[in-house]
Amino acid sequence: MTELAQAVVNGLQMGFLYALVAVGLTIIWGLMEMINFAHGEFLMLGMFGGWWLSARFGLDPLLAIVPIAVVMYAFGMLVYQQLMRRVQGGDPFTQIFATIGLLFLLQNAVVAVFTSDYRFVNEGLLVRLGGAKVQLVGLTFAMPLLLAAGLALLIFLALYLLIERTEFGLALQATSEDRDAARLVGIRPQRMFAMAWGLGAALVAIAGAILVNFFSVYPQVGLQFTVMAYAIVALGGFGSVLGTLFAALLVGVIQSVTVVYLPPAFKDAFVFASYLLIGLFRPQGLFGRF
Amino acid sequence: MPRISLRLIALAVLIVAALGVSRTAPAQSKITEVLIGSVLPLTGTFANYGQQYLWSAQTAEDIVNNDYPDLQVPLGPGKGFPGLGGAPIKFIVRDDQSRGEQARTIVEQLISVNKVHWINGEGTSGITSLIQPVVESAGLPMTCHPCASPTLTEKGLRWFFRTGPNDRTMVASLFTFLHEWRDKGGPANLKTIAFFMCDNLFCQDNRKVASELAPRAGFQVVLDLTSKTGATTLASEVQRLQAANPDVLFLVQYTADTNVFQQDAKRAGWSPKVIMTSNGAYSDETWLQAQKKSNGGAGWLGRDPTAIDLVHDRPAWKKVNEIYKKYSRGQNMGELAMREITGLLWMADVINRAKSVEPAALQKAANETKMGPEQLIIDYKGVQFENGQNVLATGVVTQIGWDGEKHTLWPWDLATKSGFKPVYPNPSWQERDSKPKPS
Repeated sequence: MTELAQAVVNGLQMGFLYALVAVGLTIIWGLMEMINFAHGEFLMLGMFGGWWLSARFGLDPLLAIVPIAVVMYAFGMLVYQQLMRRVQGGDPFTQIFATIGLLFLLQNAVVAVFTSDYRFVNEGLLVRLGGAKVQLVGLTFAMPLLLAAGLALLIFLALYLLIERTEFGLALQATSEDRDAARLVGIRPQRMFAMAWGLGAALVAIAGAILVNFFSVYPQVGLQFTVMAYAIVALGGFGSVLGTLFAALLVGVIQSVTVVYLPPAFKDAFVFASYLLIGLFRPQGLFGRF
Repeated sequence: MPRISLRLIALAVLIVAALGVSRTAPAQSKITEVLIGSVLPLTGTFANYGQQYLWSAQTAEDIVNNDYPDLQVPLGPGKGFPGLGGAPIKFIVRDDQSRGEQARTIVEQLISVNKVHWINGEGTSGITSLIQPVVESAGLPMTCHPCASPTLTEKGLRWFFRTGPNDRTMVASLFTFLHEWRDKGGPANLKTIAFFMCDNLFCQDNRKVASELAPRAGFQVVLDLTSKTGATTLASEVQRLQAANPDVLFLVQYTADTNVFQQDAKRAGWSPKVIMTSNGAYSDETWLQAQKKSNGGAGWLGRDPTAIDLVHDRPAWKKVNEIYKKYSRGQNMGELAMREITGLLWMADVINRAKSVEPAALQKAANETKMGPEQLIIDYKGVQFENGQNVLATGVVTQIGWDGEKHTLWPWDLATKSGFKPVYPNPSWQERDSKPKPS
């Protein structure tokens, strides 16, 4: 029983990290209904940013979040204005291929600049706390993951308030629901889309700057998270910030608990099986609306 | 109908004639350059390995095409191939993005469009096994020197050669060491073992070999786990390993997954008495260098094709390393690069001895190889083939010390030369944190 409870705790801790990775996609894909296969590469850029600022200037990756978020916000807007705006009105396949092209461009640009070497962050608060843990009712909570989870919760809260309680958030939702109607009330849809891309890129890059404390950094690192992020957004419900958080925690727990009882190869299979199962009863996802 | 048949016959005659001319043409004309088709994973999952193979190819090309009078390796002194009138070597390098189907297409193009004389690659056993049939049916010599999967040379292929040791040799070294260690003052209480492997051909071949050898070496296998490559968390796997509590963990994972394992094991506070590994991260120079900042690799033992701490004293190794660093942005040759360069220089020797780029002549010269250890930058006993496998390739057991460097533990004669005292038991995470870091 303790074994199962510990697996649930481990899964929840990882779930918060998954949630951070997926939430940027919730904005771009879920809310604005645009496909971005380069989402993992935005994460990779955030991770490289965190590593580079740490290796070059000794900056703690947690502090590097601020400059990385600013740069990636601008980058996300640029991607929309220079690439996605041009393909937005076309066939969805155009968006798919445009972002797949962007994926290869970003990956190979990073290979050209930094080579394919694996990079590791060896300094910073979360790294120093590496082995620290808290024991509670016989269960072990890893301190770095607890801190990361706390940070993730704060970011989610801020994002929830931004989307649900501010004029900007309402304008985003209005643009998503009916672009022409939004225009009639003075909202500039193109600007909202650009800002959504900026926000999505900044959020996933923040996730990257946190993840760099736990994972090695290399040009293809985004791939292992991208597929999971897509499953989480679909499972949680398109455009739902709370749904993303809940689904990410669920995915973390499913992965973790599966491995306790079955060969590890099954853990991703069970994540997608749960998506199929929930999709049968709630095709709009757990917190989604039609 | 008769007119169509006549046209078809005429066309067939023309094609046969053209093929006949094209097959005989190279033998008649002077060889201006020797083309090596090199398919490598320069991007994608295995890009980190691919770039080391690229630097190795550049190093070999440099050595063959330029005059290094004092360099005692094949084709070191003199420019180009003396046996081919001084013709230079040229590597045509293509990136397969770490994808098998892409590698197959590239190899087909290299053979039919670029007309290469030899295929080298792909650097990973799994993808190499996919391209072997293409090259075999084309009847061209092919090599993959760092590929360690035994199956690659056990399929009865006539055109595939490997100078490096396979996993059967190298994993056997590990278990022989563990078995003999008891009699050499090592711990007598190592009785149980767990396997934790990735899911591709290389890892699973390691698993199969280890499954055979572990009971013979007196170990009880208490857990056998396989994980999917590219894991975001291995916390539950670590939980199961911790519950099984093996004395020895045999871990075969690539760099990114090894790092995830280290993080999760540290969080769980789990450290078995011995962690031994095979290739993967242990062969990755970037992983090794990163461990110096955290003591993360101290005490890990693994297999290598050479006594890596002793090889540095060889003048040829030093010179080749200098050349390698011109291409690797200053990075030293890791053991993968050593295996690859050794193999590429042997290939150059074969081409030179064949005095031809005809596949049959190259195949004959490769099979007739009898190369002594004095021409190698690595500790093999030499190069000599049986069924495409160099039977003189050896395995060595090394361990990462507190200095972050690898030291030889086995064979015992080399271990004596190395003079290294093994780190045992595998240090706890607290000890790793508290000890001074090498860099």
